[in-house]
Amino acid sequence: MVRRVLSLTSGRIAVAVLAVIALLAILGPWLAPHDPLATSDDTLAAACGPHWLGTDHLGRDVLSRLLDGSRISVLGSLEVAGVALAVGAIPGILSVYLGRVFEWFTLRLTDTLVALPFLLFAVAVIALLGNGITQAMLVTGTLVSPLFYRVARAATLTVARSPYVEAALISGASLGWIVRRHVWAKVLPPIAVALAQTIGVGFVIVSSLTFLGIGVQPPEPTWGGLLASDLGYLDYRPWGPLAPAALIMATVWACNLLADAIRDVSGEAGRALLNGRKARAHRLGTPDTAPTGGA
Amino acid sequence: MTTLSQEAARAETRPADAGPATPPVLSVRDVHIHDRASDREIVHGVSFDLTPGRTVGIVGESGSGKTLTCRATLGILPPHFEVSAGTIEIDGTDTATLTGRQWTELRGSTISAVFQDPSSYLNPSLRVGAQIAEVLRVKTGLKRREARLRALELLRAVHLRDPELVYGQYTFELSGGMLQRVLIAAAIAAGPRILIADEATTALDVTVQAEILDLLADLRESTGLALVVVSHDLAVVAQLCDEVLVMRQGEVVEHGPTRTVLDTPRHPYTRLLVDEHESYGLDRFLAPKEEAA
Amino acid sequence: MSADQPHAAPTDTPVLSVTGLDVHYGKRRARRQALHGLTLTVAPGETLGVIGETGSGKSTFARTVLGLVRPSAGSVVIDGEDVSGHHPRQWRALRRRGVVQYVFQDPLRSLDPDLTIEDSLTEPLLVRGVARPEAARRARALLDRVRLPEDLLGRLPGELSGGQRQRVAVARALITEPRLLILDEPASALDSANRVQILDILKELRADGVALVLISHDLGSVAGAADRIAVLYQGRAVEVGPAADVINTPQHLYTRLLVSSAPTLHTAAASRTEREALRALLHA
Repeated sequence: MVRRVLSLTSGRIAVAVLAVIALLAILGPWLAPHDPLATSDDTLAAACGPHWLGTDHLGRDVLSRLLDGSRISVLGSLEVAGVALAVGAIPGILSVYLGRVFEWFTLRLTDTLVALPFLLFAVAVIALLGNGITQAMLVTGTLVSPLFYRVARAATLTVARSPYVEAALISGASLGWIVRRHVWAKVLPPIAVALAQTIGVGFVIVSSLTFLGIGVQPPEPTWGGLLASDLGYLDYRPWGPLAPAALIMATVWACNLLADAIRDVSGEAGRALLNGRKARAHRLGTPDTAPTGGA
Repeated sequence: MTTLSQEAARAETRPADAGPATPPVLSVRDVHIHDRASDREIVHGVSFDLTPGRTVGIVGESGSGKTLTCRATLGILPPHFEVSAGTIEIDGTDTATLTGRQWTELRGSTISAVFQDPSSYLNPSLRVGAQIAEVLRVKTGLKRREARLRALELLRAVHLRDPELVYGQYTFELSGGMLQRVLIAAAIAAGPRILIADEATTALDVTVQAEILDLLADLRESTGLALVVVSHDLAVVAQLCDEVLVMRQGEVVEHGPTRTVLDTPRHPYTRLLVDEHESYGLDRFLAPKEEAA
Repeated sequence: MSADQPHAAPTDTPVLSVTGLDVHYGKRRARRQALHGLTLTVAPGETLGVIGETGSGKSTFARTVLGLVRPSAGSVVIDGEDVSGHHPRQWRALRRRGVVQYVFQDPLRSLDPDLTIEDSLTEPLLVRGVARPEAARRARALLDRVRLPEDLLGRLPGELSGGQRQRVAVARALITEPRLLILDEPASALDSANRVQILDILKELRADGVALVLISHDLGSVAGAADRIAVLYQGRAVEVGPAADVINTPQHLYTRLLVSSAPTLHTAAASRTEREALRALLHA
């Protein structure tokens, strides 16, 4: 799968950008030239020697804040995606095999989650569990999980009813074998697409939450938080929001690009795409697998 | 006998009477079909004449060019295909000279067709009767009520047991055989002189296939319809056709009266097809009976 | 080549014995009976043709024998083992013995599109714990038997032609050396040359003593290969007997219609009036 995605230009670009973001997340706090929390009198400065991106309204170095905040921002959205995957995808696959009751229950649960107003629910849970980034991510992940549930379930249903799974059954395969060998490979691509999308969405959500003061408390920097505070001082630093916005945009864009690339190499269209490339590479004609309409 | 249209009443001549003096309704002369996309010639020279009341069969596998040939005679070749040589004449008119409007005029009222998968040719959200009535209203200008009555007549003519019931049904309520009959009814609604059946029975059970083929034979006899029957199965063609073309990879490898081609095949491919039936089919078991007139 | 005598003596245990089989589908108001009191046997090494139109119950019959559908009444005995009341674990044990196998009608969808040919072929062996190298060796041997080149092993199903895929499906069904092989419309999706190849392969299987059940809606497609024919109509076996008898002297109305409807090179044109008469009687 990874190889196939990397064979596409879009895949390579997406992975490259995301690799840079990941590096930022890992190394960011160490790369920060100044203490991100240190205030100074040099407020709302433009880009200059000691402060490459200037300072914010409290005199804090913007670059340092950006770098420091990248870890939380990235980790936060990964957490959202991870929770959504666990809470959504696994029940999704199991709902096909564990019987009517389980299926009904998980379906109704998913419907309920879709119907819940996101912000109200988040605030309510935070009120119960206390304010913190982990709680915020858990809530968000759960609320986004219906997508994974539906995607995993739909993919599993398609596979479960197919002749090749019946053939495996007839040959004496156990349920575990069938899931491992046949179902998993078919479920993975749509889930990977959903995952890539959710990471992007997770970013926006983390940013929104921080904007509202839920999850991460100031003065902890996050990209969304920076965006929010910068917006308040547009008169003085009109270019202020550019840096955090650019980072957020780049990440979300790369995630969506990756999702597209995964989708392009998966399934029917994906196999055709790769077959065509293989054929051109080897200068062989691919055999006609389906009679053309005009024949 | 049902009279289906004014034109059909004219052509009451029985097949035996359609001698060499009768001009062909469809004339395909040395037609070559070229694919612009791959810059290859796909069909290399097909010729046959079709006179009223007679049936021409085209046998071939997928890739033989038989479907392209049919589509050419209907003027519905896929976008990057073209007739690069030869002529196709319908009722004496060279189709290469026809404008879009003239083609539309011709289709349904002079030349018509049924294809392989009946359910894909009907709108699943509309009742089937209304779809036949639509053909009638567009092609013959009948008013709504008259169109309905004619549609019911047509459904009866294609041997549907309860036309009133079928008229009001949707495609999902009908079996493959019934759907194909509905399509045949729609195809003959405007009284065409030529009907092309392209693998029309391939998707059907063998008993249903026999019903449809018998229906086509019946229509041929009662209205003088000229048929082109296309199939990958030599036996289907044997059942219905006076003359046979065997196509392989775009070429006509054998052409002649059905009995001659079947009894004394000359080309090895034809012989392969004949042998397959004789080694593995029912022909081994059954004693050849005298052919009915 | 005439229809050979089945190799089994009358006292041999039949490979498959179905008695009074009833199968129902659906629940409450939508409940339908697909099979009524079906009784059939298949002797070792015999080829049985099961003919019926859509809705006749022939697919249900196959699925019941394979354990994909549970019978409502009656018994199914495979190689001496009564499977009528088996639950999934017992079915799995029986299947791992590799006694019964199945070839699907549509070769394209019966092979996992993401697995190589080798993976698909070796699956029936791997699930019973055969080591991979041994399974691969047997896969190669079987490809040879169905006259396919060895280099297909690393390919995906999408890269093969329809005829090649069908032969792979047959090879997969044979890899466990089954005593009974059920084939659903084995040749209908194929063109002439491939059809002949498949039928030749089936001929060799008969010579090897494998019992075959050929399911089809077309009498003509199994006539040449079958020793006995069972005709199913509306869930019942209306006629069972040696192939030549069923075809030449059909007793039941539906069988007569079937014989009359089957496209043949020399006779079908003649029987139109006969078919009309039979249809009228059948629908009365």
